[in-house]
Amino acid sequence: MMDHEVIEELLAARALGGIEPADEAELERGMTAHGPDCAECGRLSAELEEAAGRLAFTLDPSPLPLGMEERLVSAATGASTVVPLARAGERPRRSATAWRAVVGIAAAFVLFAGGWLLRDLTEPGGDDEAAFALEDAEVVTFEGEGGSLAIAYRPGVAGVYIFGSGLAAPPEGRVYEVWMIQEDTPVPGPCLTPRPDGSLFTYVDAELGTTDTMAVTVEPSTCPDAPTGEPILTADLTAV
Amino acid sequence: MHGPAREATPRDAAVVTTDRLQVEDRELLRRLSGGDEEAFRGLFRRYGPSAVALARRISRQPFLAEEIVQEAFLAVWRNPAAYDEGRGSVRSWLMGMVHHRAVDAVRREEAQRRRAEDVAGSSAEEVEDPAEQVIEEVDLPQERRAVRAALGELPEEQRRVIELMYFDGLSQSKIAERLSLPLGTVKSRTLLGMRRLRGALEGLDR
Repeated sequence: MMDHEVIEELLAARALGGIEPADEAELERGMTAHGPDCAECGRLSAELEEAAGRLAFTLDPSPLPLGMEERLVSAATGASTVVPLARAGERPRRSATAWRAVVGIAAAFVLFAGGWLLRDLTEPGGDDEAAFALEDAEVVTFEGEGGSLAIAYRPGVAGVYIFGSGLAAPPEGRVYEVWMIQEDTPVPGPCLTPRPDGSLFTYVDAELGTTDTMAVTVEPSTCPDAPTGEPILTADLTAV
Repeated sequence: MHGPAREATPRDAAVVTTDRLQVEDRELLRRLSGGDEEAFRGLFRRYGPSAVALARRISRQPFLAEEIVQEAFLAVWRNPAAYDEGRGSVRSWLMGMVHHRAVDAVRREEAQRRRAEDVAGSSAEEVEDPAEQVIEEVDLPQERRAVRAALGELPEEQRRVIELMYFDGLSQSKIAERLSLPLGTVKSRTLLGMRRLRGALEGLDR
């Protein structure tokens, strides 16, 4: 029969998550041979699991991702925390001059819509429709990792341009999703995938309203109604 | 009969703090059994930041880390009775669930080897040795001090093996490969290190 020192050695590796499959099978056999009432086996297992669990507290705690608590509670209770966004009204027409300047920053790109009005601004005839004066627009850049991203918009006026460069491709089966944080509640925006050269440029027919922060997360391509991941990019709109 | 009075030590403070934590944690779990949402939030606020830190440290993918932590907490919500008081503290049990899920997720993605190699190249820059980090925290400070001190007291070779296994999700054979050590040496260092760690943590609340 396997002695307790061998059991202890295998339990230590298991508690730390590093046990080899063959060793785990051997441990199971050994523990089975000792039986469920083996007090020494139980003591060793409990003490080693306890010590391993405590190791987590050597790490500095991480700030919780925006909205994670609400998402967790919603998942637990089956409630929805998503607040519908008031859709934009008519978008004013602007001169094409500034729009062309923006086009120069990032080539246009057709994006997944998911209920949002997105336009490919390089489409023939798109100029007139997308003529959007940015000379008096607010431009806010996102901070974070994964590339450069900015929005251009006029407070109180519907219509937001999102443009970026150097954006990493999201993992397979995932997309970037834009969120508008309104009173701590993330309101879903468009789902985006940069073009192969990492650039991105799109128009969203929405009014930011009381949005104080915008965030981008990596999400499943189904574009969930609530974030499932931590923001990789955020923009503070409170200074605007 | 009482022995001679002695001066209180940081370890005593940790014992008192963790005693209180454990009492409160068990109460939260008891309330959870009745579907108390506020108790669930309380448990998450208390341990969510540490759970996210652990999942991020192992998975190195923030979005995956949140999924892992959410899954672990949902498991607690659905079955708080799975916690067995006789087997240790609530927080160790909870972190164990996060840890197991994180390691499973990393291995499931079959990216462990590449990720571990990245870790080897960047760990000094990205993640300090937990035992050497300056303690400047707002939650669970006594607990952290005590566990960091315990880890820091281990001989370097034992601590290294334990950290690679627990924080980087490496199996013992991977560690042997990484450190160019016989597998038996890795196993014996694991055992000796965990024995010392248990001893150092003994007396702290369970």
